[in-house]
Amino acid sequence: MESDENAMEVRQLRKSFGVLKAVDGIDFELKQGEFLTVFGPNGAGKTTLIKILSGLTQPTSGTAKIAGFDVTEGNVEMRKEIGVISHATALYADLTPLENLMFFARMHGLSQPEEKALKVIGEVGLSQRRNDRVRTFSRGMLQRLSIARAILHDPAILFLDEPFTGLDIHASNVLKEHLKRLHNRRRTILMTTHDISCGLEMCDRVALQVQGKFAFLENIADVNRDKFESMYFDAVRDNQFVMEIGSQ
Amino acid sequence: MNLYFNQIAAIVWKDFVTELKTRELLSAMFIFALLVILIFIFSINLSIVKASEVGPGVLWVAFLFAGTIGLNRSFMLEKENGCLMGLMLVPADRTTIYFGKLISNFIFLSIMELFILPLFMIFFNIDILEHLGPLLMVIFLGTLGFCALGTLLSSLSSNLKTREIMLPILLYPLLIPIVIGVVRMTGQLLEGVPLLDMMKWVGLTASFDIIYIGVSIMTIDHILEE
Repeated sequence: MESDENAMEVRQLRKSFGVLKAVDGIDFELKQGEFLTVFGPNGAGKTTLIKILSGLTQPTSGTAKIAGFDVTEGNVEMRKEIGVISHATALYADLTPLENLMFFARMHGLSQPEEKALKVIGEVGLSQRRNDRVRTFSRGMLQRLSIARAILHDPAILFLDEPFTGLDIHASNVLKEHLKRLHNRRRTILMTTHDISCGLEMCDRVALQVQGKFAFLENIADVNRDKFESMYFDAVRDNQFVMEIGSQ
Repeated sequence: MNLYFNQIAAIVWKDFVTELKTRELLSAMFIFALLVILIFIFSINLSIVKASEVGPGVLWVAFLFAGTIGLNRSFMLEKENGCLMGLMLVPADRTTIYFGKLISNFIFLSIMELFILPLFMIFFNIDILEHLGPLLMVIFLGTLGFCALGTLLSSLSSNLKTREIMLPILLYPLLIPIVIGVVRMTGQLLEGVPLLDMMKWVGLTASFDIIYIGVSIMTIDHILEE
């Protein structure tokens, strides 16, 4: 990927499930090395947005280019450029971290898969547990291993879907430090989260997604933190109200 | 091309390492197949019916029903923790996932069959050793067709809540041509008919194997996508 081209270009992206509009006309672009945090209440369509951008699901309409590749074309080359951390760890519970990462290294066609796997296991601080079954890991350790899986092939673009969910303070800090290192290495990052302090601390740009739309998208330097927080909590409260009315 | 085969080999390796650690699949398939044969052996009076007439049907019922357990487990493993999503994100052609799972299923089922065959020989008092080569050829064709179609349909049914019920409902009707072919060939082999005299059945079974693999290559991309 050329350094001056956009890492992501999203135009009028829409995804509907029947009458439900999960993503409803989203427009944005991210330059290489930028970090965008997307906040939003539950059901706002954040996960669907990440699924579309990572090529896991097709949009209903609109276009999205990731590292110059159209996401609708299911391009193998595009998948070399991205790493995804989602709610699911995508790790085989009966394999060890080393076996899991060696497997994914081979699937990525990396040379010396064992060396690469050991290196990233060390980076996320799991060297001592590299030969234990993943099934025995805590949520925090799973999340760190999930990051190792996502960065194994050194992707230029990372998608993180609520990576702080279920982590204790220590694991959360470890993850935060790791994300900062990746950001410093000019990786383009799109992260969804409910954690206001973590999300605002690390990003260059911030968005608020409500009912499928970006209700707010600004550079972090232009954001008044208090106003944004109150806007976010209003959106969560209104969304809760809409969901309650809907369920009645 | 090397990368393509390496990716297939990686999936097979991963399934083998998992099975070596858990030993869930092979033991479940073997016990189920053994139980099927035992139930039939106690319900059939072999002094009235010829073992070579009922034996092939019993043998293939045991293979296919036990194999269905393996197929159900095959993609369940990928759905756990969202591993299938992880596989969808690697820069690999989606047919590598299909062929990797197909080869794993085929090898696991073949291992189970190799353990069941001697027991079948003992319980039904049939000497299969003199027809062993052709019989293994027939078992190869039947198992390949079963795994080719079964792997595709288990990837399809793995997204359904009622996957354990849906897989056999989808699989067995479509398997009928292969089942008829292999049961006929097995029966005739046990009667002493040489395989060369049943090339029509061999052709029919092999054709369905090729058709199922071809259809799978064409459709797996759409099936794996949400």
